[in-house]
Amino acid sequence: MKKTFLLSAMVMLVSLMAGLCFAGPAKEYRIGIVTPTLSASEDEFRGAIRVADKYPGVIKHISLPENYQEEQETAITQILSLADQADIKAIIIAAGYSGILPAIQKVKARRPDMVVITAPIWDDPDMMVKYIDLCLDTDWVRRGITIPEKAKKMGAKTFIHYSFPTHMAKEVLAKRRDTMKATCERLGMKFVALNTPDPKTGAGSTPMLQFLSEDIPRQIAKYGKDTCIFGTNCPMQDVIIAQALELKFIMAEQCCPTPTQGFPAAMELEITEKDAGNFDKINAMIAQKAAAAGCTGRLSTWPVPVGYFFPEFATEVAMKMIEGDLKDVGVETLAPLAREVAGVDVYFEKMKPELNNYYLIVMDSVFY
Amino acid sequence: MKRFGVQIPQVFIIVFLVLMVVLALGFEIPMNWIISDALVRLVMNGVLVLSLVPMLKAGIGINFGLPVGIVAGLLGLCISVNLRMKGLWGLSAGMLFSVPVAILLGYGYGAILNRVKGKEEITATFVGFSFIPLMNFFWTIAPFSNPAMLWPIGGKGMRPVIGLKSYFAKALNHLWMVEVMGVKIPVGLLLFFALLCLLLFVFFRTNFGRAMTAVGENEQFARLAGVNVARVRTWAIILSTMIAALGICVYAQSYGFIELYDAPLMMAFPAASAILVGGSMGRHTHIAHVVIGTFLFQTTYLISGPIANEMMLPEVAEIFRLMITNAIILYALLYEGGKRHDVG
Repeated sequence: MKKTFLLSAMVMLVSLMAGLCFAGPAKEYRIGIVTPTLSASEDEFRGAIRVADKYPGVIKHISLPENYQEEQETAITQILSLADQADIKAIIIAAGYSGILPAIQKVKARRPDMVVITAPIWDDPDMMVKYIDLCLDTDWVRRGITIPEKAKKMGAKTFIHYSFPTHMAKEVLAKRRDTMKATCERLGMKFVALNTPDPKTGAGSTPMLQFLSEDIPRQIAKYGKDTCIFGTNCPMQDVIIAQALELKFIMAEQCCPTPTQGFPAAMELEITEKDAGNFDKINAMIAQKAAAAGCTGRLSTWPVPVGYFFPEFATEVAMKMIEGDLKDVGVETLAPLAREVAGVDVYFEKMKPELNNYYLIVMDSVFY
Repeated sequence: MKRFGVQIPQVFIIVFLVLMVVLALGFEIPMNWIISDALVRLVMNGVLVLSLVPMLKAGIGINFGLPVGIVAGLLGLCISVNLRMKGLWGLSAGMLFSVPVAILLGYGYGAILNRVKGKEEITATFVGFSFIPLMNFFWTIAPFSNPAMLWPIGGKGMRPVIGLKSYFAKALNHLWMVEVMGVKIPVGLLLFFALLCLLLFVFFRTNFGRAMTAVGENEQFARLAGVNVARVRTWAIILSTMIAALGICVYAQSYGFIELYDAPLMMAFPAASAILVGGSMGRHTHIAHVVIGTFLFQTTYLISGPIANEMMLPEVAEIFRLMITNAIILYALLYEGGKRHDVG
């Protein structure tokens, strides 16, 4: 039984390789992909599964503990277990958590040849670049410029930024807010920073979401419907988009820009199993619902979720690195590969000029 | 004062609330919005708080295993959405579907709690905490077929948040809504809550209800009087679970979304806070405590947000609110403990 399975897997692998015109026989190595669980983050999880389907037998996908914050040691053990398997030549970590670097340090101590790509993790960048071959992340701070600019283009006169103390204590998010404020001033938009109850303390997201659904109508009554609302926390997006459909204000981008965040719940998108993961279809569906609600041109996001894009992109990069086709990473080598995977333009920029293996990306937008 | 269950902490929170209302008027925050929202919030959370009453009365303590009942309600709602039932019918169907689930789950939950007499609250907390991961597993493999409920990328398993707009979002909120001087009064919603309160009140006047209270007051005595204590306790737990299931139905229709996975995990705590703020002292719990407590607790929540944003001191109002509500809970627990000490 096992043999037949292995055989069929091999056949599939070889035929797929041939179909994709990848030179050479089946891969002699495997790549480990680490993501959060399905319920913690669908994008990364499904992204990893998609790569596993693309390269059957090559990908070893593991998911981190559901409550990562409480069980960091479990996460470290899981990542180390990948390093113990000799045929695994690369580890890709797409988690968006901090505190994973110690695991990578141990991996590198045990297996200096291991290719490690993070897409992303959130530890100290200067430390990360010493151990990690390629660090990838979304350009959160530059989005402080791109989002208000897009909002202005969509007709916004006011820009509302909803957040809460624990988020504003994070350097990147606070910096993005300040950048947004500066950009709004430059563009002549009114910038309003509002606080919601903190979901990280006490009773979870519930009070925050309740507050938002009560506060947004108040703010729109005050500032008018040419207002762009931005929230820094993922659960907020369902409420913001649902309110946007009713009150017709502008939602230029979610905190994590993707058609699969906020839109499916707020618009009750009926995505059949056949269309699931087909972003052209999903984007068309959103545009149709937006038109039905009279919100055409008021909603926008990135066409593919970054979390879905990163595992596949990082795998392609890792394969090229292992096979020796990619000696040093740079904008000129990464950008064409990213375009191939995402289907739209992806803009890379160094995180800091002096760091040569930490890149931040911004994608082209889709307007509904 | 004492006769009406108004004690120092309630006086404190009322003073705090009045102070905030004055501030809100000063900042010209529209009061009609605040009052409308306060009424909605009262019922939205009130039913969940009401669900604590049977278990408190039967002496089992605060139902920290509220997520068990909530899950039953969520399951009922999901079935209703899966059948694409709309409006008030959809909501009622959701409630109806959730009742047998709640009875079943409540029975099992009751069997567990009856084995750990004296440690019910901590056990209940962990029943809630361990039940949610189990249900997380269930939601990912649940055989629902309405594509509006399924994961957008994988196409299988339930989404964490399911929109209800085209089904029964705000069905009860908008029932017989009247507007008086800019204040929207959700009459249907309030009547529904009043009806539930009344039914529970009447229930505690029946023989079975009295037996439940008796078990809470003095178990030995109740046993000697011929009451089957284990059975009565199990029914109190089933009743609490059932009301919790209805509670989440009311909550979800008002919020406009069904929230699955980890969302119910912490919901027991604000409900417990509310009933303690209302003046509940363990077995001595009245339905008035539910109404007063939910109103005070939720309204401080409601009003502190906009004030904090106007004052540009976001943390301060939040810290004050947490300090006051948590101190009241501590007081309530201490006071209850003290009384027990006097008796024993």
